[in-house]
Amino acid sequence: MKHLRNIGRVALLLVAAVLLLATPAVSAAAASGGAASGGAASGGAAAGAGTAGAGTAWVRLAHLSPNTPAVDVYLYSYGNPDARMVLHHVGYGDVSPYLAVAGGDYSVAMRGAGASPTSPPVLSASLKVAAGSAYTALAVGPRAGLRIRVFRDDLSTPSGRALVRVVQASMKHPQVTVSWGGKVIASRLSFASVTSYQAVSPGAESVTATAGAGDAKSAVTLTAGSIHTLVVLDGAKGLEIDNLEDAAGSSQLPAGGVQTGFGGTAPHGPGSPLPWLEVIAGGLALAVGGGLGLRRGGRRRARSRHAPSSRP
Amino acid sequence: MTVRERWWAAIACAGLAVALAGTCGLLTRHGTSGLRPAPAAQVAAFPAPTGPIVAAAPTARPAAIAAPAALTIPELGVSTRLITLGLTAQGTVQVPPTTSVAGWYTRSPRPGAVGPAIILGHIDSDHGPGVFFRLAGLRSGDPIYIRRSDGSTVEFEVTAVQSYLKARFPTEAVYGPTPDAELRLITCGGAFDAATSHYLSNIVVYATEVS
Repeated sequence: MKHLRNIGRVALLLVAAVLLLATPAVSAAAASGGAASGGAASGGAAAGAGTAGAGTAWVRLAHLSPNTPAVDVYLYSYGNPDARMVLHHVGYGDVSPYLAVAGGDYSVAMRGAGASPTSPPVLSASLKVAAGSAYTALAVGPRAGLRIRVFRDDLSTPSGRALVRVVQASMKHPQVTVSWGGKVIASRLSFASVTSYQAVSPGAESVTATAGAGDAKSAVTLTAGSIHTLVVLDGAKGLEIDNLEDAAGSSQLPAGGVQTGFGGTAPHGPGSPLPWLEVIAGGLALAVGGGLGLRRGGRRRARSRHAPSSRP
Repeated sequence: MTVRERWWAAIACAGLAVALAGTCGLLTRHGTSGLRPAPAAQVAAFPAPTGPIVAAAPTARPAAIAAPAALTIPELGVSTRLITLGLTAQGTVQVPPTTSVAGWYTRSPRPGAVGPAIILGHIDSDHGPGVFFRLAGLRSGDPIYIRRSDGSTVEFEVTAVQSYLKARFPTEAVYGPTPDAELRLITCGGAFDAATSHYLSNIVVYATEVS
């Protein structure tokens, strides 16, 4: 009898222990779910501002005036006088790499190579730079009529195509015709002119620049998704062709995003705590039921033991 | 103790055992594993690659830039070889067949060439972290190194970390032409949709070559 009561007490203690354990587990599950989703939300907010490469623009400078001596080219930012860049000793045919700059207003100034940075520039021009865009500033024309022309460079191609444009910087040949493979991409282009970009089928072809007196040939590969500028120059022995890669992307643009996760670390990973709670509740119900049955049995036995002695 | 009492006691004990087992299950599944482990540990001591760093000279680039072979992100303690990835029948970039390795999309520019090189890695498998588990933790200025098959190394610097809903993925901004040598690291992120077993967002790390 005594050990039966003890079993009942132990059972009650165990039930209490299970309840105590289960309660923090459930609240921990709720808290972890909340914390994880909160973390995801704040991560999204931190990453959500603005577009990619926020604020970056690109500017490229070229000297394409055949009879103008080398120059130093300065790029000044209107908003920030300290943020200036200088390219020293830029000669005919030189093209700088793209300089990454913040969007804003700039001026380009040219001084004779080696001239004092404070001396008055030979030539200057202002340019408005939009974030996410690329620009080419060309010094073109004969020395007597030198000017700076600024072009906004394309940064996207039609699907599966390449873009190409032509700059005619040959003074010896006032008009030049340029073809890529069998396709004429610039017809009788005059000195100091620039064509707009045109889409061509990608491939490896030979580029031909034809003027009255001389030809130039150059093998050029245009991949899909790439953007090029072909510059026709006066060389030591006739025309020369310089192939500039303005920009490039994937040769085949993929469709949208990618499925790079299976959710093993996702905030909700373990799923709902409900099944576990059901198991605990079922177990507790069984334990309570068993305990009650035990007590009832105990009482009945006690009654049957005491009943005869209480009779008169 | 009668036979009946023994039965009741057995039932009570069995119930307690079941309840205890349930509690243990709940604790192990929900007590801690719902939280992502904090990014820490091996990160700090990770050494930067020691190979030569090739400076970019866009006007005089080498005729052939070798294919990428390995990726190192010191801030995250990530160092993985790179496999090659093509396109799926749906036109999306293939994903690596295992979650422990990243891959380079072969129709994107080679790292160090003009344009954005595309590299993909999984955030997780169905039971644990993948190679790009902590990608969203990168910050502007963090270095990324690509070792190429000829042994040369090219260094990139993170310029932005973005999260996009896959339904509104900016295809042109991520894969489209750029005038300089760039890198994109892509993985999953955001909310996980249990119904489709996919994350709803992509994390994109934008980086440019350090010249």
